[in-house]
Amino acid sequence: MNRRDFIKTTLIAGLSVSIPINLDSLIGNLAASETVDIAVVQGISPAMITTAAVNAIGGISRFISRGDIVVVKPNIGWDRTPEQAANTNPEVVSTIVKMCYEAGARTVKVFDRTCNDPRRCYKQSGIADAARNAGADVKYVDERKFKNVRLDGLALKEWPLYTEILEADKVINVPIAKTHGLATLTLGMKNWMGVMGGWRGRIHQRLDKSLVDIAKAIKPTLTILDAVRILTANGPQGGSVNDVRLLNTVISGTDQVAIDSFGATLFGLTGDDLGYVRIGDQAGLGVMDLSRLKIKKIIM
Amino acid sequence: MRNLRRITQSIFFLIFLFLFFQTESKGGDELGYPVKIWLDFDPLIFISTLLSSHSVTKSLFVALIVIVVTIFMGRIFCGWICPLGTLHTMIGSFRKKPPATVRQNWYRIKYYILLFILASSLFTAQLAGIMDPISLLIRSLSLSIYPLVNYMTRAFFDTAYHLHLPVIVDVSEFFYTIFKKTFLSFHQPYFFQGIFIGLLFLMLLGLNLIERRFWCKYLCPLGALLGILSRYSLLKRSISEGCTSCGVCETMCSGGAVVDKDGTWRGAECLYCMDCDDLCPYNAVNFGFTARKDAASLNLGRRNVIISLLAGIFIVPFLRTRPLSGSGYFNRKLIRPPGSLDEREFLKKCVRCGECMKVCITNGLQPTLFDAGMEGIWTPKLVPRVGYCEYRCTLCGQVCPTGAIRRLTLKEKEKTKIGVAMIDKGRCLPYAFSTPCVVCEEVCPTPKKSIWLEQVLVRDRDGKDMIIKQPRVDIDLCVGCGTCEMFCPVKGEPAIYVISTNESRSTDNKLLLD
Repeated sequence: MNRRDFIKTTLIAGLSVSIPINLDSLIGNLAASETVDIAVVQGISPAMITTAAVNAIGGISRFISRGDIVVVKPNIGWDRTPEQAANTNPEVVSTIVKMCYEAGARTVKVFDRTCNDPRRCYKQSGIADAARNAGADVKYVDERKFKNVRLDGLALKEWPLYTEILEADKVINVPIAKTHGLATLTLGMKNWMGVMGGWRGRIHQRLDKSLVDIAKAIKPTLTILDAVRILTANGPQGGSVNDVRLLNTVISGTDQVAIDSFGATLFGLTGDDLGYVRIGDQAGLGVMDLSRLKIKKIIM
Repeated sequence: MRNLRRITQSIFFLIFLFLFFQTESKGGDELGYPVKIWLDFDPLIFISTLLSSHSVTKSLFVALIVIVVTIFMGRIFCGWICPLGTLHTMIGSFRKKPPATVRQNWYRIKYYILLFILASSLFTAQLAGIMDPISLLIRSLSLSIYPLVNYMTRAFFDTAYHLHLPVIVDVSEFFYTIFKKTFLSFHQPYFFQGIFIGLLFLMLLGLNLIERRFWCKYLCPLGALLGILSRYSLLKRSISEGCTSCGVCETMCSGGAVVDKDGTWRGAECLYCMDCDDLCPYNAVNFGFTARKDAASLNLGRRNVIISLLAGIFIVPFLRTRPLSGSGYFNRKLIRPPGSLDEREFLKKCVRCGECMKVCITNGLQPTLFDAGMEGIWTPKLVPRVGYCEYRCTLCGQVCPTGAIRRLTLKEKEKTKIGVAMIDKGRCLPYAFSTPCVVCEEVCPTPKKSIWLEQVLVRDRDGKDMIIKQPRVDIDLCVGCGTCEMFCPVKGEPAIYVISTNESRSTDNKLLLD
């Protein structure tokens, strides 16, 4: 997609956000955008709904400033194709990368510490190609760049985290919604396992608390949950399209606990069913109770 | 002529190295280069495979080109093309003087080795790869020299990186990035027996310091095969009237083909380097096409020929009469790559070139020592603790030159079992310590997970009830990829491990009644 296409898409997206409802919601939309906690946008085109979801919570320039070094952190954990819904949708990722550059970002970095072989994950997920085409700096994780960080958390005292995420000006978390054997679901907070160094397998022993510890240390500027396709069984890796449900939805917000709490509803659960959401809420990391949040739903 | 030869050698050597470096995944399903082409062109692999297994893969038929060329033009493969020969030429250039002792009949050794190999092949053992020069070169580089080069380079740049000095780090990282894009591997490779295989290789190279191209003259079985094929070669060396028997050609001959001051020529030994043509002070040496018969024919001695052949025949039962080698016993640690033929057939074909181990995306394929018996030395096996078998990767079958590992489609690969996972309840965290851990289930790659979690009510020390998820293996679904074993967080011996039982390639190595 070139710039012209992008502007066109953005305009169409922007228009379709406002027009279907009524005209004064267009004005209302602009005014209210500051106060929306979570935007949930449904539509056919992943690029359009991603753009709309960001616009609905105030637009990208609310989050990204000129000259920023931005990390966009998708889930590229598995050697799976986009249809299998084990990794973040590549179009969602590339759209966010483009938006960051539109907002004047200096560099947008995209990476993940994968579970399967990084070469296959980056390639097969379609994310490396899509993000590179959007201008992102796509690199494999460099094992030398992990640094021990003191967390003094609920479960973890310290853990090596990726320096590029610690040094970035802005961090955008772009997880995909999937099931998980122990965490029940993997959404935004669990996506931070991709910036953890060392032998991550061990944190499963106290997973919920560990996830809160890491999420606290990172605090993303923005979380954009990809629910274009969700994996409803055999997660987090999946492999069969029978386990994939097409929701054509993208959810955006700044509160990672709230996003995860909302993400649970996609699977017929509530945030309370997820240990890390509950603990995150108690620890003051965010708000689990959706009734206390302003949620804007848009169908395109 | 000399420079032309050196340029040709260099070009082929660079092609070899380039393809060697390309024998590595870039994330796609295929490599994009014909990385095994050197092995395809190898007549010794072609003939020995044909003898041992009575079938060869289609791609191996290009070896006929080398055979035909050799029949007409002699061993120009050895002198102009062979990458190991080129390496020997390079090392040999450090040896300035002619050898201290004349090894009159040593050239025959390589023919005996060849006869030994071919006789054993005829009786279904495939031992050619151990000494075949292409196979030996790729194996030695893959399993030993390349890991060493990688380690050194990485250690150097890591040290520079950790100096944290602004300019130096920038410069070193700049070069490191270039090196990573060109000749370094993606991950640092590690191989069992790297030292052993590497020392053997360095020793062979070192022999050049005793006598130039020692290997090519005395040991190389492919050289011997090409020597025999070149018997009626039309490209021959001749000497004109001007020869003064000065003996320059004799002392400088890199193949040991010129045996006396008069310039008597053994065509089967000639590497066609044509140095003698260049060096002859009287310009009396000529290479040209002629149907004239050789001055010296190949004389190996009937008795020694018979001994070599018999040795080749007897080595087969000698290698195979060992306890537990019959059917009904399967080495549980011998996990063959996906697509491998049944063990008997596998050993008839595998030439131990190391291509599969080089290309293995996780470094999990390692050379055996005695796991497959002496006969199976340096054949590949999966060591999941080092690296698991990537579920959607089919590269090992793509680079196998002889079809010992079949080329699988992605669909076939996903169904191919190489073993089955077993849980050690005494070590597994949920079983032994009532501690949550689902790593094996999480990383299990089959679409319907082969490891499932059973919710169990257990009691802790104080008698308090607690619910814990315990992993269970679905033996019908498990493909034995070993991902669970590799990622199992239990240190040392893992709490879940793969054994070769249930491998698709065997009809007998099964656990349960179907």
